[in-house]
Order: sequence, then structure tokens, then C-alpha cells
Amino acid sequence: MRTSKFKWMRLGLVALFVLLAAGPLANTQSASAQSNPAVGIVCTNGPTFNLSTGTGYIVLSDANTMFMWSYSVTGGAFQYPGPVLCVNQGDTVTVILQNNLSEATSIIFPGQENVLANGVPAQPEFSGGGDLISLTKTAPAGGTVTYSFVANKPGTFIYESGTDSKKQVAMGLASVLVVRPSAGANFANNRPDSRFTPEEEFLALLSDIDPYLHQAVEDGVPFNMNNYHPRYWLLNGRGFPDTIADNYAPWLPNQPYGALARIHPYDATLHPYPGIERFVNIGTEDYPFHPHGQNGLVIGRDGNAVEGTGGEDLSFEKFAVNIGPGQTWDVLFKWYDAENYSESNPIPVTIPDIANQSLGMFYSGSPYLGVMGPMPPGVSTLNQCGEYYIISHNHALFQLDAWGQVMAGPITYVRIDPPLPNNCP
Amino acid sequence: MKKMISRRDFLKLAGAGALTVAGVSALPQFLRKTLMAEQVVMADVIPPNLYFAGTDGWMHLPETPAIPPYFPDNLAPGLADGYPEGLNSYIFGFRNITGMTETQKANQKQRAQHNAPLFWVDQFNGTNEFRLQLTNLGLAMRPDLTDAHTLHWHGFRNVIPFFDGEPTGSVSVPVGRDFTYVFRPRDPGTYMYHCHVEDVEHVHMGMTGLVFVRPLLGPKFAYNDPATEFDREFAMFLSEFWAEAHWADSHIQLPDWTDYKPDFSMLNGRVYPDTLAPNGSVDPFNPVRDANGDLIAPAGRPELQYQPLSALVTCNAGERVLLRFANLGFREASMTLTGINMHVVGRDATPMKGRDGTDTSYDTDTILIGAGESFDVIFTAPAHSGGVGPDTYVLYNRAYNRTNNLSGDSGGQRTEIRVYPSGVAAQQFPNDWGI
Repeated sequence: MRTSKFKWMRLGLVALFVLLAAGPLANTQSASAQSNPAVGIVCTNGPTFNLSTGTGYIVLSDANTMFMWSYSVTGGAFQYPGPVLCVNQGDTVTVILQNNLSEATSIIFPGQENVLANGVPAQPEFSGGGDLISLTKTAPAGGTVTYSFVANKPGTFIYESGTDSKKQVAMGLASVLVVRPSAGANFANNRPDSRFTPEEEFLALLSDIDPYLHQAVEDGVPFNMNNYHPRYWLLNGRGFPDTIADNYAPWLPNQPYGALARIHPYDATLHPYPGIERFVNIGTEDYPFHPHGQNGLVIGRDGNAVEGTGGEDLSFEKFAVNIGPGQTWDVLFKWYDAENYSESNPIPVTIPDIANQSLGMFYSGSPYLGVMGPMPPGVSTLNQCGEYYIISHNHALFQLDAWGQVMAGPITYVRIDPPLPNNCP
Repeated sequence: MKKMISRRDFLKLAGAGALTVAGVSALPQFLRKTLMAEQVVMADVIPPNLYFAGTDGWMHLPETPAIPPYFPDNLAPGLADGYPEGLNSYIFGFRNITGMTETQKANQKQRAQHNAPLFWVDQFNGTNEFRLQLTNLGLAMRPDLTDAHTLHWHGFRNVIPFFDGEPTGSVSVPVGRDFTYVFRPRDPGTYMYHCHVEDVEHVHMGMTGLVFVRPLLGPKFAYNDPATEFDREFAMFLSEFWAEAHWADSHIQLPDWTDYKPDFSMLNGRVYPDTLAPNGSVDPFNPVRDANGDLIAPAGRPELQYQPLSALVTCNAGERVLLRFANLGFREASMTLTGINMHVVGRDATPMKGRDGTDTSYDTDTILIGAGESFDVIFTAPAHSGGVGPDTYVLYNRAYNRTNNLSGDSGGQRTEIRVYPSGVAAQQFPNDWGI
């Protein structure tokens, strides 16, 4: 089990990392000092995991801070969301949970069968009066419990608290389990048509926050969940624009997971396989996620290939991937340069004079992939090498807000770099 | 808009107006480089297929009960201002200004419509690219807001950012300027479009509409599949209205969008029973306007002047009817058709087929359609019961709290399907009643 963030901290390399990271658009090369990529899913590898529950704070798009509960690697710093656990199909997965909260907690593994708790089949817990108090065996405050199961099915799953779930999950006790198929780590499941480009594996973990719940928990006072009203909606535990910062961006010490996707255009020989986005909803609302510029091909849901009993392909394309609470969707995607517009194959229309356009902060100044164009005096761009930025966001648009601050929440981009070789840093 | 004489115009004046790609490449190298940068290709030679304007405006919703102080809007114009009676809701929106004079164009400021003009495009066959020019007339009620506008074709695959209308990754259209989007749509089906500038606000304020792509197979097919043949088609565009947000925009206020609570749910920009009122000018390629370029209200309904799209479905018994649903509200809708099965043939502009060709189309009486999703469904009109007049079936949002107009009964996202024994004429355009 590794979580290299903590290694750098021990080595005192934080300052060096700040120098190396070129800001929110830093690329994989500049992050070579770390073992985790700057973009893409960050796995904590198993099959044995030592996890702890704990409390900490995260930063939101409106500069508010929020008291959270979450899972972290035992002995490591607080993080939200909890570690993304990655195992291989057939592994016997063991999760040793150390409960540092002041109340009992637990972990359930939806989609997994025959889960053991402390070596015996995990069962719900009931009060003396027969009321259900936990969906599975708990660890008492300050105590531990050990869960184990065989990861039989490949796909994307949730792990989350099974105790007072409406509160504990909302407080942050939920994250992701990825089971790699026997077919290989570059397949989503055991269908040959589920192959993807390993460098283009991304996570979109969706959640929401009612700040009054978190304040009440921090203050130790009751909160009526019937009054739950989200004011923040997050992607990988961050709100835009933090979503496009690198994994382990140093100014987000407790929110390690970025959500920027960085890909190259489809090419039949050089780049034949799509990327994959693993959508997971640990929140309370539907998240109709809309990737611009490409349809997602939904090939897996809740850890099951989208296929018929005879292996028929039932996958479907979506331009709005509508993920319900507790669902996971495995979605392949690619961007295909359909027109191959370039300076020698120009777009068939006059480009207005630069003074007659409003230019976006990620725009290169040119319609063409890999080309930087002129910007008006005083206008700068974050574009580095003529790469394309195609937005990807929730289309329940009121969710793109941080308690009154607009252009926040579950927004990220697909950054499309020019085909290799290119001049991108 | 004052147009500067550019080097390109000068060249055209000098007789170079017929420059083509070949013409450019025949030029000396030093000149070609300069010319390519300015895109002297087919520029301005080919007129746009459609020309839209973004601006603000007013529309009508049922006024009982009121939602003080937000609705009805106390700043709404009336007869004395050259508007019809009954307008009560401030909107942003698009208008189709194709073919208008400069004066007519300017007249359309503060005369937006909702939903935005329905339009459709033929699938790209190698030559028939579609050009949509957009201008920005500004916001008459909010001269302080100099927002740019764009046209984002939601769901268009493999678009380049330049033509995507997403302002941070490309460009948008400032007040008084023009921009032409070029589309080569390769995937038939039902899509939607909207302005993507300040998109929470501009989408909710009404800069939203439905667009679809006709397949190469022919105009009476939903997809390139003979099984998707139909006799009639109707756009069913879903949107929402949160009175506080619309009032805020006309009163120089900002809503907290996390308080979002739609007061009205609309079908084709109207609420039931207004959804049954006649069409105004629907066909964008043959627009009907008054001398000022303004919309002409549906017969007998002056207050619906800026809501021209009817949602009433009319057909003959036995006909196959395609309903094209798109949802640009922020909430899921659950659209139920009582008494007739719907056959889902497409979702999100994708035919219901697995990669190996497996047919995944299905029958249902209810489609759950999330924000930003589209559905194509075909139903076969049942035999007529034999009574007098048409048989009526009801299409409505089964989430009942979104199917009322505040007054609590049978409003909102609801319309009727009227099946006649015969006599409904062929459609001249989508949503045409044929009667």
C-alpha cells in the first residue's frame, strides 16, 4: 500500500514540488518527481488496506472551509475523498478499519458478496429494541474492525459507511473501489471491447454538502436530515476551479484528487483505444454530467458490463451521463478530429477580427489544434501549446455554484493535446 | 454595427471576391501567408443558413397565484410600450433574424422568444455544411450587463472548441458583433442548443432550444434505420422558470442559485393549457413576421407572441408519430403518455443499438429525462373510437409537483395528443397541426 504524498512530506520535498508544478495545467512530465500522475486516477493499491476514519477540513470554491469526516490511510494525513482502492479481480481484499471518530462506524461494500467482518459473515446490527442501527458490523469509537471479501466482479464500486449512513456518508465517509479485470488493467471489464488507454483513466466522484449539517456535527448538535439542502456540489472532493488543479496540488492539502482529463485525439494506429471515465455518485441528487465534444459510451454500471445474457453488447452512447445516488457508470470516451482543420485546411468561415471576439482564458487564439494565435494587448491565456479545452460539467446547472458563487462545483475540462510529437510542456 | 473596411474587403473590391482555396494557393508565397491568416477563402461569399440574435425580452405565464414580489414582474412592458398585454416574465433568448433589414434586426432588441427557434439540419453528406450566424443585440433592460453570447450545440460530437460556443475554451460574441458557426453534423438525432456564457443564468433565462439532424436516409426517418420511419414529428422541449431568478435579472439583483426552485415547468416554452394554443411562426427557413420584423402572435393569443411553439400533437389514426424530447431544465422530468405505448428509438442522438447491432429499443409509457438529455420516441396513433371529434390522450410530467401552475391543477409540462379518424393534412414543418 502506498500513498506517496506522505513520503514527500517526510522527505521535505513540498517546496520542491511547488517549484515543479506549473500550476493547474502542469502536465505529467513536470510531475515526474512524484510517483502519482498529475492528472488521472490515483490508485491506492491493495489488496490489504489499513484505513482510518477521521475529521479534517477542506477548502471550497467560495473560500469557505468545511468540516468533514473521511477515510484516510492509517498513519497518513486526512484526505477527502478517501483513498481510491484498487485491486485485481480474484484478490482477497482485506480492509482493517481503525475508527477515530467518537461514535461507531463501519464500511459496506455495495456490489460485493460474502463480505466477512472479523472473519464471520458481516451482518446488520440491531439495537436491543430491534431497530436497525448499522447495515454491517461496526467498529466502536476508538476500536477496529476487519472486513474481507473476494473481489469477484471487475468494475467500479463504492465503499461507504453503513452506520447512520444518512449522516456519516454525507459527512464524507464514502469513496471508490476499482476492481481490475482478469483481462488486464487496461480493460474496464472482461469484454475485449472494454479496452482503454491506461494513461487516460479518470475518476469523476460526485458529492454534495449542506454546510449546516457539517456545522452541526462539528458543534455536536443535532441536525434534522429532512432539512438537508446542498449548497456545494463537488467533483473528486473539489469545486471548480480547484477541480482542474493537479493531483496533490499543494494548496489543497486535504483534497488530493484532481479531475482534469488530459488526452490525445483518436488515431487508428497511434492512439486507437479510448479513455475511460469512472463516474461515481456518493451524493444525494442526480448528477446529469455533460461532456462537451464527445458522447460517453456507457459500458458498465454498478460493476456490471452492459451486456445481455448471451454477451450481446447493450452499451449506449450518452451526451448527458445521468448518475443516480449510489450508482457507478464506466464510460469510454475519445475525441476524434473529425474535420482536421488546420492552417492549410482552414475553417470555411471568416474569423472575426480579434477585437470583435470575446476570448476565453483557455483559448489558444487559433481555431486549430496545436496552434497559438495572437491575443489582444493585455489579454493573456492559460493555453500552453494550442491544446483544446473542452468543458465537462453537470447540467443540473444550479449545482454549478458554491453557495451563491457561480461557476463553481462539478466542472472540469478535457484537455486535448495535439498528436505526438508536439510542443506541449 | 459599424463595419470596418478590412484588407479582405479591399481585395474583394479589387475584384478578388471569387477567391477560392485554389486561388489562394496560386498566389505568391509571401502573399499567401498573409492571406491565410485572414482566412480569405469562402469568407462572406456563402450566406448563412440561419441568422440568430441573442437579446432579452418578455413572455407570458399564468398570473394566479402571484409570487410577490417576483411574479408577475412589475417592470413588464405593456400596450403603451408597443407590446401586447399579458407579458409578465423577463427572459433572455434568441430570435431568428434571417433575411431581416438592419432596421428590422435592431427592432428585435428586447423581443426574444422562448423557447429559442426550433431548427433542423440535414446530416452532412460531404458538401452540405450548415452555417449559423449569431449576433448579439444586447440587453435592453440591463444596459449594465454587457454579456457576450454564444450558441452551444449540446451533444455535437467531436466539435472543435471554436465552434462549440463554450466561452472559456474558445470565443464568444460581444454586443454588436457577429460570429458564424459551421456545422457538419454526422450523427442524426435530437439535440438541443443554448448560450453557454454565464450558462447557469443564460440557460435558465431562456436562451435554450431544440435542434435535430435529419438522417441521410430521408426526412421521414429519425435515424438511418428504416424502422424509424414516421409520418409526423413534434418537438417537445422542456424548460423551467424560477420566478425569483427572472425577477432578479430585471431588477439588477443576483439570485443564489443553490436556492433553485422552479415555479413553472414548461413544454415548448409554455405551460398547459397554453401548450395547446396554435403555433406562431415555427419554420425558421420560412419565417413569418410583421413589417417591423416582430413575431406575429398565435391566433387569438396576443400574450403568447414570444412563445410561438405549440405542443399540441395532431394526427390521423394509424399514423406513426415521432416525439423529439429535449430537457434543458435543471431537474429530471418523467414524461408519461396515457393510453398509448411509446417506442424509444433514440437517446442523446444515438439510435438504440449496441456496438454489435443488438436492438435496444423498447416500449414504455414513461420516459425519465434528465437535465441535458434527449429522447426520440415513436408511437402509432390508435384507431379512432368512432365518436365525434378527435380522441384525446394526455402527455404530462408524472412528477406532479412539476405539472401545475402554482394553482395546483393540471398545468405545467402537459399537453394533449388528438387522434382524428382522418383529414389531418401532411405537415409542412415540425409541430405543424395539419388542420
